[in-house]
Amino acid sequence: MEVLKQIIENINYIGALALFVIGLYTVVTHSNLIKRIIGINIMGTGVFYFFVSIGNVVGGNPPIVDLDNGNLIYINPLPSGLILTGIVVVVSITVYSLSLVVRIYETYGTIDQDEIAKIIDQETFDD
Amino acid sequence: MDDIILRTISRLIIPFIEIYGVFIILHGHVSPGGGFSGGAILGTSLILYTLVFGVEKAQKKFSHKVSDIAESGGILWFILIGLVGIFVTGYFLTNINAGFPIGEPGLLLSAGMIPLLMIGIGIKVASTMITLFHTVIEEAHHGSA
Amino acid sequence: MIEQLPILNLVLLLTTALMIPFTQKISFKTTKLVGFTVLLTVLVSTLFILLHVQSEGAFYYHLGGYPSTIGIEFYVSILSAFFTLFVIALGTLIYVYSTRDIEHDVYAQDYGRYYTLLFILLFSMLGIVYTNDLFNTYVFMEILSITTCSIISIKRSKKNYTAAFRYLMLNEVGSLSYLFGVALIYMVTGYLNIDLAAESIQQVWHLYPANIVIALGFMIIGVSIKAAIFPFHIWLPDAHSTAPSASSALLSSIVVKVYIIIMIKVLLRLIGIDILEALNIPVFLTIIAASGMLIGSIFALGQKDLKRMLGYSSIAQIGYIVLGISLMSSLGLTAALFHIVSHGMMKAALFLSAGAFIFLRNQRAINGFNGLGYQMPISMAVFSIAGLGMIGIPGTSGFISKFNLGVAILDANQWFLLVILIMSGVLNAMYYLPIMINAFLKDNPEKNRVMQFEKLPKVMLVPIVVLGLMIVLVGLFPNSIMSYIEAAVAMLLA
Repeated sequence: MEVLKQIIENINYIGALALFVIGLYTVVTHSNLIKRIIGINIMGTGVFYFFVSIGNVVGGNPPIVDLDNGNLIYINPLPSGLILTGIVVVVSITVYSLSLVVRIYETYGTIDQDEIAKIIDQETFDD
Repeated sequence: MDDIILRTISRLIIPFIEIYGVFIILHGHVSPGGGFSGGAILGTSLILYTLVFGVEKAQKKFSHKVSDIAESGGILWFILIGLVGIFVTGYFLTNINAGFPIGEPGLLLSAGMIPLLMIGIGIKVASTMITLFHTVIEEAHHGSA
Repeated sequence: MIEQLPILNLVLLLTTALMIPFTQKISFKTTKLVGFTVLLTVLVSTLFILLHVQSEGAFYYHLGGYPSTIGIEFYVSILSAFFTLFVIALGTLIYVYSTRDIEHDVYAQDYGRYYTLLFILLFSMLGIVYTNDLFNTYVFMEILSITTCSIISIKRSKKNYTAAFRYLMLNEVGSLSYLFGVALIYMVTGYLNIDLAAESIQQVWHLYPANIVIALGFMIIGVSIKAAIFPFHIWLPDAHSTAPSASSALLSSIVVKVYIIIMIKVLLRLIGIDILEALNIPVFLTIIAASGMLIGSIFALGQKDLKRMLGYSSIAQIGYIVLGISLMSSLGLTAALFHIVSHGMMKAALFLSAGAFIFLRNQRAINGFNGLGYQMPISMAVFSIAGLGMIGIPGTSGFISKFNLGVAILDANQWFLLVILIMSGVLNAMYYLPIMINAFLKDNPEKNRVMQFEKLPKVMLVPIVVLGLMIVLVGLFPNSIMSYIEAAVAMLLA
């Protein structure tokens, strides 16, 4: 019962870690380059989720100053602000890697890592 | 893509998308949103235009010349505002102490330099989104030809 | 006024990067001149910062005037002042070289883009060295990883795309691991500022040891992937060998070192030696460093391509630096920081002269160097000086760093590490010496043993010669930079 309570209280951290591990697994094991990029995005989501949930305050309000209601409890806005930067970074990484994939598809005619490796091996053998 | 429904509808809604983007940019300091979100919405409007009317027509609306200036200009504007802080108080990006008017909290004209920064960020993000989309499309056309 | 120089350097580099699309419209020559002037200005100002820090002591710079609890902060200590000078000095030399070498590797329409990327790259490296904020470091790291991948893929050849893609994926795994570590540190301490977080960690680490251990693990692995420390090195040989020669020199001599500086900051300034030793971290570092030193050299022996061989040699040399750090003593750190500088110079000289061979003769294969010393005497001589430095021959800066490392190892009473150090040195000799012997003592196919005048363009020759001279000068007078490094180590261990 104690364990169950622990899990429920920390469900956001467990979920974030699970996303991180799923993303890492996708990046490392899949040979399809697009799936690897998706894996990076899942990993990023995991980390961002973790970071944002650190800033949560139970019963807190969104951190927008409400002049009429006086002193409310606000959640910590700093992690959310930082993660906005993180999201922008992952967006740009995704765009750049997708454009690389476009180039790879043009030159090799495939987006599968194993087949690309075969083509490269064949070429070095021909040399 | 030559479809009369798409063309009519997108012609109708693109102005509203753009106004919404500008609204989000300008209200970044008093409500959720800001330069990045607003710029992304602004960029989306031209991406929709590109999808419906094709790259050639979109390039006329937003050519590489304009995007070069907008992209560099957005950051240069940010840096310029930051430098004001150095000259007045001795710290880069100083807000109130550098003499930016603080205004009344909750109104549109408040928070010192933050709305000014948001405009720069918005321009930068919007032009980056559009340029990225156009570049990828052009490269794909170029590659298949 | 001096306090403003760090931020003004960053602003200047960023502005130059943004202005290059416009100067490129006038002519490429304008771009080159503007870039060179800016780099010289930054070089002079980093020199002033170093002199100021040496006489007046370290200083903090608060962006926006916010206090360090909430704002971003630069900490300009003797460490950051010295290493920014190192980054910019090597960067300027490589920049000068690249202005001609670029014609060989990059299409004409990409010249402007290349220099935009180069200046953003230098900007982010300066930012990483100056900043005193964990999250700010992450942002600069990401800027650095995008620009490094781009200056590899700008060559637009088949292999570059796959190398850049693999580098990008691993870089991103590293960055996100680092960010996870930062999140765990923030969770425990509530600060992102390194000094404040370090204070807080000292107080709470008995309460949350699991958090600190996991955070440290994530951060070390993240930075190790980016710095190509042994088990995470798989991207390095492809990326460094396919990139344009100037980019390879930049990547191998500076970029990797900047990540090691992040590692030093995290280990010593954020966590501190006491906690590291209580958690047994130095032992793990020693193991990966020692295995990297051996395995990098063994792989380098089997390479047929010169630039790939240099890439594997980098892995071994990074092992030396990590070994110095893992000793956790003042002697070890001195050796590690000195080796950062000396390996930076030697690897830059090696990659630039390798680029010269490729530029003039299209010579990449290691077995084709017979008699090259007569055709390209100056660049081959510098290649030999740097290669001898890698082996550790007295009179070069490589000897001083290996000697210091040996002394530090003996001081720590770990004799088996000395055996590994000597074995790695012997392996270095086994792959650098044959090239020199073939180049100077064997006949080339045309049997032409007449010493020729070097045909390399002057802008490429000057940086190579300057690097060769610097290696010898630092080897003969190591105290000139040793005083700065000892001050930096004293600051780190205080």
